Amino acid sequence: MTDILNIGSTLPAAPTVVEAPDKVPLIELRHVTKQYTANAALKDVSISISEGEFVCLVGQSGVGKTTLIKLLTRQEAPTSGQIFVAGRNLADLRNSEVPFYRRKIGVIFQDFKLLPQKTVWENVAFALEVCGVPDAEIKRRCDKVIDLVGLGRKKKSYPHELSGGERQRTAIARALVHSPKILIADEPTGNLDPINTWEIVELLFRINSRGTTVILATHNRQVVDRMQRRVILMKSGKLISDQKSGKYVI
Amino acid sequence: METFIRIIRLGYNNFWRNRWLTLGATLLMALTLTMISVSLIISFIIRDTADAVRSSINLSVYFRDDAITLESIKALQNRIDLIPNVVATDYIDKEEALQIFQRLPLNKNVKEPITSEFNPLPRSLEIETKDVEQLEATVAAISQADSDKIICDECLSYTKNKEIVDRLIASTRTAQQAGWLLSIFFGLIAIFNVYNIIRLTITARSDEIEIMRYVGASNAFIRGPFIVEGIFYGLLGTAATTLLVPLLAAIISQYQGASGLTTLGSAAGVLNTSFFNYVIDHLGSLVLTQLVIGVVLGVLVSAISIRRYLRA
Repeated sequence: MTDILNIGSTLPAAPTVVEAPDKVPLIELRHVTKQYTANAALKDVSISISEGEFVCLVGQSGVGKTTLIKLLTRQEAPTSGQIFVAGRNLADLRNSEVPFYRRKIGVIFQDFKLLPQKTVWENVAFALEVCGVPDAEIKRRCDKVIDLVGLGRKKKSYPHELSGGERQRTAIARALVHSPKILIADEPTGNLDPINTWEIVELLFRINSRGTTVILATHNRQVVDRMQRRVILMKSGKLISDQKSGKYVI
Repeated sequence: METFIRIIRLGYNNFWRNRWLTLGATLLMALTLTMISVSLIISFIIRDTADAVRSSINLSVYFRDDAITLESIKALQNRIDLIPNVVATDYIDKEEALQIFQRLPLNKNVKEPITSEFNPLPRSLEIETKDVEQLEATVAAISQADSDKIICDECLSYTKNKEIVDRLIASTRTAQQAGWLLSIFFGLIAIFNVYNIIRLTITARSDEIEIMRYVGASNAFIRGPFIVEGIFYGLLGTAATTLLVPLLAAIISQYQGASGLTTLGSAAGVLNTSFFNYVIDHLGSLVLTQLVIGVVLGVLVSAISIRRYLRA
C-alpha cells in the first residue's frame, strides 16, 4: 500500500529531452483559423510538430484544444489556413481516403468511448474488424497491444468491471492497434484519480519512447509540470507560448 | 468475404442486442405492412367489385312487333357484332325470355298470368360490352346499325335506365379512386412511422458509429450492419404480417357471415366469396408484395438515416 500512497515519488524520472533532428515536420499547421460563430475557436494558429515528439497542448477548457484535435482528425475543416500531416494537405484528402488517414492516427478521450457491451479484447478487435483485417491478424495484434498496456489478464472483462485507468488503457490499446504514427490524447486523465492519472501518463511516455508522436491535450498542471516536455499554451483560441521543455504557466 | 460475413454478423448482433428497440421497430414494420396490405386488399376488393358491377351492365334491345322476321333480327345482330366495343351478342327468343322471367324474384300474382300460351314477352338481343365508359357511343352505333328501325322506340335498355346506369358507373369509379387514396394515405403514415423508429435505433447507437469513425472504419462498413438490420426488419415484419392479415380476415369474415352489413363484407359478397377466402386466394402475391415493400423500406430508411452520420 505504501508505494501507492507515495505514487508521486515512484514516478519514473522524466527522460531528458532529445532535440528533434531538423527535418520535415510530421504535423504542420499554417495560420489555421476555425470559426463556428462570430467568435473564432482558433485564431491564426501555426504549429509545427516533428516525428517522435511529445507535445503537451495546455490551456483551460474551451480554449480550442478540442477544436484543434477535430481538425487534426479531419472531422472538421479549418475556416482558413492549412494543415499538413506527413506532407499531405488534409484539405486535399478525398472523403474515401479519410478512414485510411484516421487509421494512422490514434485518438483517446476523457470519456474513453468504449463500447459497453463488448469486452476489452472485443473493443480493441473492433478497431481492426471494421477495417477488414483478417481474423488471425486481429488476434495477433490485439493480444500484443493488450499486453503492451498491461491488461493481459483483464481482456475478457467488460468496461463496467474495470477501473477508470483500466478503461483508458483499453482505449489506448484500441488507439494503438493500428500502429499509428500519431497518438492524440484529449484530456485522457480528466476523469481519473491521481494514481490512475500517473499510470496513463507513464504509458503515454512508453508509447512515445517507441517512436509514436504523442499530442496530449490537458489542463492538468501537475501532469504538465512533471513531464518537462514541449508545452504549447493556448488561450481563447490563440497560441500564447511554445516552450521546448516547459511548465504550465499562465 | 470475411468482411461480408463480419458485416452480416454485426448487423445480426445489433439486432439482438437492442432487443426492445428492434422489437418495437419490427412491430411497427409489421403494423405498417399490415396497414398497407389491408388497404391494398380493400382497394382490390373494391376494384374487383366495381369490375363485377360494371361487367354486369349489359345492353338489351327488344323487338316487340311479331311481324319482324328472325332473318332481319339476325342481320342486325351481325351488324352489331361488328361494333368495336361489343364483345358478344345473344339472341333471346320468346321461350327463353319466359324462362328468364320465371326466375326473377317477383310476386306470384305477377308471374302466374304469363305462360307459354299467353306470352307477351318480347324477343331481344343481349349485348355484352367491353368498356362501360363508352356505353353511350355504343348505343348510338347500335341505333345507326338499326337502319330498318326494327328496334321498338325506347326499347334500348340504356335509354330507359340512362340515369341509373350513369350513376352506377360514376360511383364505382369514385369507390375505386377512394380505395387508392386510402391505400396511399395509410401507406404514407405507416412509412413515416417506420422511418422514425429506424432513425431512433440508429440514434441510439450514435456512440458506436462515432467510435467506428474514429478507428477508421470505411463508410461502407459503417453502413453495412445497419442495412442488414433493415433487411431483418423487412423479413420479420413480413413474417408477422403473413400471420396477422389472414387472422384479421378470418375475424372480419365471421361478421360478414353473421350480419352481411359491413360495406367490405357486402363488397366481397358481390364477388361471391368471403373476405378470408379472398385473402387466402391472393396470399402468394400479398406476401411477395409485403416482402418487397418491407425489405426496400427497411433498407432505404436505414440508408437515409445513417447518411447524416457519415459525412466526413
